Amino acid sequence: MIRNILIALVLLVSTHLTAQNEVLFNRATASYNAGEYQKAIDYYKEIIDNGKHSAELYFNMGNAYYKLEEVGPSIYFYEKALLLKPNDAEILNNLGYAQNMRLDAIDQIPESAMVRFYNATIAKLSFDQWAYFAVAMVFLFVLAYIAYYLFRIAIQKRISFIISMVALLFCLAAISFAYMQYNAFKSINPAIIFDREVVITSEPNKSSERIFTLHEGTKVNVEEELNDWIKIKIADGQTGWLPKETLRLLKKF
Amino acid sequence: MRYLFFTYLTILIPVFLLGNPTFKQDRQEEITFEVNVSKEKLGVNERLRVEFTMNKDGDNFNPPNFNGFKVVMGPSQSISSSWVNGKRSFSKSYGYILTPINTGNFEIGQATIEIDGKTYKTIAKRIRITNAVANPNAPKSANDIADENLYLVAEVSKGSPYLNEAVTVLYKLYISPSVSVTNFKPLDSPKYNNFWSQDIPVKRYDTKNDTYDGKPFRSVILKRVVLYPQKEGRLTIEPLALEIYVDVPTNRRDFFGGKIFKQATKRVSAGRRTLNVKPLPEAGKPADFSGAVGDFDFAITTSKTDLNASESLQARVEVSGKGNLKLFKLPEPELPSSLEVYEPEYDEDVLTVVSGMQGKVANNYTVVPSFRGKYPIPSISFSYFNPKTKQYNTLKSDEISINVKEGPEDTNASISANAANQKLVVKTGKQFHFIKVKPKLKTIGSNYFFGSTNFYLLLLAPPLLIPLCIVLYRRRKEQEQDVVGNKVKKASRLARKYLSTAKKELGNEANFYIALEKALHNYLKAKLKIETSEFSKEKISSLLTTKKVDLTTTESFISLLENCEQARYSPFTEVQMQQDYDKASEVISKIDKQL
Repeated sequence: MIRNILIALVLLVSTHLTAQNEVLFNRATASYNAGEYQKAIDYYKEIIDNGKHSAELYFNMGNAYYKLEEVGPSIYFYEKALLLKPNDAEILNNLGYAQNMRLDAIDQIPESAMVRFYNATIAKLSFDQWAYFAVAMVFLFVLAYIAYYLFRIAIQKRISFIISMVALLFCLAAISFAYMQYNAFKSINPAIIFDREVVITSEPNKSSERIFTLHEGTKVNVEEELNDWIKIKIADGQTGWLPKETLRLLKKF
Repeated sequence: MRYLFFTYLTILIPVFLLGNPTFKQDRQEEITFEVNVSKEKLGVNERLRVEFTMNKDGDNFNPPNFNGFKVVMGPSQSISSSWVNGKRSFSKSYGYILTPINTGNFEIGQATIEIDGKTYKTIAKRIRITNAVANPNAPKSANDIADENLYLVAEVSKGSPYLNEAVTVLYKLYISPSVSVTNFKPLDSPKYNNFWSQDIPVKRYDTKNDTYDGKPFRSVILKRVVLYPQKEGRLTIEPLALEIYVDVPTNRRDFFGGKIFKQATKRVSAGRRTLNVKPLPEAGKPADFSGAVGDFDFAITTSKTDLNASESLQARVEVSGKGNLKLFKLPEPELPSSLEVYEPEYDEDVLTVVSGMQGKVANNYTVVPSFRGKYPIPSISFSYFNPKTKQYNTLKSDEISINVKEGPEDTNASISANAANQKLVVKTGKQFHFIKVKPKLKTIGSNYFFGSTNFYLLLLAPPLLIPLCIVLYRRRKEQEQDVVGNKVKKASRLARKYLSTAKKELGNEANFYIALEKALHNYLKAKLKIETSEFSKEKISSLLTTKKVDLTTTESFISLLENCEQARYSPFTEVQMQQDYDKASEVISKIDKQL
């Protein structure tokens, strides 16, 4: 009995919290629309503190920071939204606006034909999307195979058999793509620079040689960490060390 | 010098003219040849007169080598001859006027002369030359006078300036009222090594009453130079040398009693000046300090802040004020990398005056945005050293936001094709999207589908359906093949169906008994596996008996069947119908148990 009451109570509280978050979100929308961007950001932060997030929430935060002309946070939250919802056209579009405010122009390493092919095909979907695709293909395979078994007419049997085999092939491919994407996702640890200007040094200490400088909003990949220093790699392949507090990791939710 | 000589001659000539025609050698005398010097000790700035005198005329006079002296005048000959009381005296002398070249002891060597075939020599004389004396006895030459009345002085505004701090050098000529300068010519203009220098030409030479060394002088500024030391330490300014044409008064007077002026040329040079250039203090030196020293203002301005894409705007980085404006690098603005920025155009408006440079320098950047959006230009800082307060100052520009309203329709337009520096531009759509209205909130945490239990379950469970389906299918096929079983099943199903129809038709006599009969028949079909054609009461009872159904049950079953037949011809009450229905249910359950 007591247990039941407890469960009911937890359910009640959680539904109440969800409702509260919705209220916060709507308030933030109203503030944003009224031009009170900092207020909107505060509401969004409150929702995150309540343990909830979504691509939409991060996208809205990116928008608010863009309006405040804060390059670093704006790009940071857009990229976060993209992690939850890759290839979303609106997020990509607004991220482009924010990226145009950056000071750094880093050339991309020219991509090989293989990489370009990979990006155009496998990287189009995230590993989760590939996983869903694989599950769908398994169902198709099973249905088509059973149909093959049940059908009496030769042509129907043949068609369903071909469909089942193709679906099985697709399923296996999707699983391997998902695995590849998952590994790729795990191997990168992107971060966004938050400081106005950061000097990248060759060693993790203040007295070492300066290699180059980066500005707010530039995306870097974290390679290693030593004490309060982080080794980063930028898009053109250069590496160096910078103090930990100058950037924020994207995958830290 | 030549005046002196002439004066001398004019005095001597009448004597010579008088004495010479009456010259006659009368009696033999002892011949003397000796040297006379005006002084044996003299200052380096004084003159020495040397006379070689003989009392009989001789030939081949050979003067000594005047080592350490310069012959200013000479040799000058003078002869005097006189008769006194019938006694004739004669003397001839060769005179020289010398100026010493240096201080020290010098010797005037022996001079020789031949008199009556004999060679006579003078005795060598030692002369001591001391340092310059204040008031040399000898009358001054024009150059001497010019020397005393002309001074060229280099006036330096600051003896120990900071690096890159303006220093003004004024070359002033002090002229005594007694001489007048007619012209001057620079001999060589000084080189200002390790300085950035700018000459400020003097257009009019204005004389000014001044004092020099406590005496009234006139002064005129001949040259003005502004210097910015480019190196720290002791730096020397090379002297300026001028040749000055000057009119110097002489002691002679003209017919009207006015002084006769003599023109002299005089070289003057301002002494070397050494500046002690102080380095800029290291303490508090800002990181972005680029060498600006002075007092400045700093600003970044843009020609417009709202524009359409592919229009251009001018961003101007300007430093104005006083100081070494031309000598430092202007700070570069940090523009978003997506803007096309062309090489800046340098623009200066600097006036160099005696106190240094003043005005403004600016870099004009042409900026062309390619896409719509907001482009903030962050504030940049400019640092300079103020030598007056001896402190570094840092100025920050305002933050500027450029708002590009309309972007190009064609996002594939080629961009930054001819920009000076290739820029990274992210293509954006026409519209900056509004925030999303639906929250779709989820609990934070990395709950990825790939690799989760659900994923494996959904992936591996469906294939298990295949064998399951196959088994079920096979089962169904087997059942289809079993004909007897199927008939029985069908009959029992029909029995149940008709029984329920009978129940519905309880009030309706005809329908009730038809349904009941059909139910009973079908029941038997299912249970006893007999065909409709075989139906007869005897057959049924015998079959039931062989199946070991007890007698009463068989009888009641038969009686039910009879009732059904009778009902076709005679009416039955509702109560009877109810009894028959109950009986049928009872009998069927009983047979079920016993079979």
